[in-house]
Amino acid sequence: MAARHLAVTVAGLRQLTPRIREYRLESIDGKALPAYAPGAHIEVHTGDAAAGPIVRHYSLLGGDAAHDDPRHSYRVAVQREDRAAGSAYIHQHFDLGTRLRVSAPINNFPLDRCDTHSLLIAGGIGITPIFSMARSLARRRRDFTLAYAGRSAEAMAYRAELESLCGPRLRLHVSGARDEGQLDLVELLAAQPDGSTAYVCGPAPMVAATQDAARQLGWAPERVRSELFGVGARGDEVAFEVELRRSGRVFRVGKGTSILDALTAARADVLWDCRRGECGLCPQRVIEVDGVIDHRDRYLSDEERAAGDTLCICVSRIRGQRLVLDA
Amino acid sequence: MQEVLEQVIAHPRTPLAEPAFEAGGFADHATPLIRNCWYVAGLSSEISRDIISRRLLGVDVALYRTLAGEPVAVRNRCPHRSFPLAKGRLEGDTLICGYHGMQFDPSGRCLNMPSMPVVPTNAQVRSFEVVERAPLVWIWMGDADKADPADIPDTHWLNDAGWKSVSGQFFMKSDYVSMHENLLDQTHFPFLHPGAIGTPEYARSKLKIRREGEVVIIDRALKNSPPPGVYAMPTGLTGQPVDRYSEARFQSPALHVAFAKIVDPKPAPGALSEFRFNITHIFTPETNGSIHYWWFNSRNFDLENKASDEFLHAASAKAYLEDVDALEWILEAVTNDVEQQFDLNFAPDKPGLLMRRVLHDRAAAEAGVTF
Repeated sequence: MAARHLAVTVAGLRQLTPRIREYRLESIDGKALPAYAPGAHIEVHTGDAAAGPIVRHYSLLGGDAAHDDPRHSYRVAVQREDRAAGSAYIHQHFDLGTRLRVSAPINNFPLDRCDTHSLLIAGGIGITPIFSMARSLARRRRDFTLAYAGRSAEAMAYRAELESLCGPRLRLHVSGARDEGQLDLVELLAAQPDGSTAYVCGPAPMVAATQDAARQLGWAPERVRSELFGVGARGDEVAFEVELRRSGRVFRVGKGTSILDALTAARADVLWDCRRGECGLCPQRVIEVDGVIDHRDRYLSDEERAAGDTLCICVSRIRGQRLVLDA
Repeated sequence: MQEVLEQVIAHPRTPLAEPAFEAGGFADHATPLIRNCWYVAGLSSEISRDIISRRLLGVDVALYRTLAGEPVAVRNRCPHRSFPLAKGRLEGDTLICGYHGMQFDPSGRCLNMPSMPVVPTNAQVRSFEVVERAPLVWIWMGDADKADPADIPDTHWLNDAGWKSVSGQFFMKSDYVSMHENLLDQTHFPFLHPGAIGTPEYARSKLKIRREGEVVIIDRALKNSPPPGVYAMPTGLTGQPVDRYSEARFQSPALHVAFAKIVDPKPAPGALSEFRFNITHIFTPETNGSIHYWWFNSRNFDLENKASDEFLHAASAKAYLEDVDALEWILEAVTNDVEQQFDLNFAPDKPGLLMRRVLHDRAAAEAGVTF
């Protein structure tokens, strides 16, 4: 059922670039962890009394260029973001032997094994699910292109592995410290054979630009699949309080914590599942808010959002001091 | 999870046992059964001077009636050599084991052992609290000190002159948690039960879900819409716009009841304006993966109409058999598949998840686990 977590420990870490560190996690009992397909990610549960609960999603790399990871281990790469508390906490606190809980793998971004031609597009740390896809395509000797964009070569993780995996199929694009040289997505998409499927993972503007390019070229919308990191975090979050009116409990929701994380860490009796604003299990009724609800989900209708009497507590927030829920 | 991690730190080589309970957890087919609860042992009509036996919550129970007609339940296992007592015989109110003739009274006390000169004082067979609320006989399989008949759920309409019931039963190889969830879910009607229950407009009516203590209730009102086939024929309101109100309650691990009311806003002169159906579903787990299931469809109108009886019986049995098949197939997949799958949850699963949480927390409390 929904709340199943796995106990793992940090068995290896490797600094890939100045800001990106790779962690290899292994099951504490040495037993095999649940299997996964390219594009899958895990929820990592960590945090402490000071930081509050921290739940972040990281894609599973699958292995290196030559070998799959052993069945009892998961490999993820975490980029330390300046404005995000979660990645900073992880970089600071995770060391060899650190124990944490992770979810079983979840896949919102599966690779279609029947693609005639796959176009993989990665921006920055978005390379992680794309890397697992490239491994699968290369092993099956499928036809694909991988366009990997980043600010500078040194900031882009897994370059050497990708060169080895993809050979001439890899296009590296360095955009410069201030993104002066943007990847030309229209040109990239236009160069693909008919019937290609694109998989894009990277910053929100890059994902949007890929979808725009596809629209311009007349691609059917389902031919572009995307994964957005940090569904909740945009860098403009503020801390606030949540009051559960029926129990009278009040919780502080920090900048880097979601309402759901704060409530589940305190064992409040709420329902949830996807933690991405899609499944519709976590919406709670709003009694009052001294500010504005910042809806960040994909489940509620426009009318429901405008009415302001419910919100998806897993990703949505408020701009104000206190939110009172009928719970 | 904290307790589990601490256990591992102390013994690094100990294999991590699957935790049965966790904070915010949900019951499933593997959750330990809740013993401190009234369950139905059988129908009044099943229990007689002929001793029957039935496995309830994993324990085999022998059931019979005293000469005065009181139902008795004792463990179906002689304390001497585990012979099934139901294969013995009754003499008056004394139960005689078929192996060495040991005799027990209805409270389970040994009255005589033929091959011994003295009555063994350490020989008792466990007896269970039973309470008859016709047509049901309720049993308490848990801690005897906690058995309070005031906790037996109300089913008075099953034995009331103002109601007529048709019923059936199934023995199913499924888990009772999934059955409760099936009854709290109304989004499967058009797919698992096409035509019979629910109509296309049903999907557009808003559902209100609430939890009151350990009871989960779903409420629906649908106005000005023709009733579904199963209600149309008995009420005579086929194709006519009526107002429908239904309340489905997960009442206890043993019982789910749906109360349905159909209101005809423009009844013909002399005709009824309000029709009620109470649908009672009773689950007694035999084991984690098998259930004794009894159902009753009760109506408060047109009590003598045999054609309505037959119609309601056939329609109900057909729909419930569709559920039984589905859940047996599902449990088969869940228990035999080598690779684990973590089933997905979405908004329509809310009532079922609330119920699973109630069951999980109750089972955890019985196991002495707190969060």
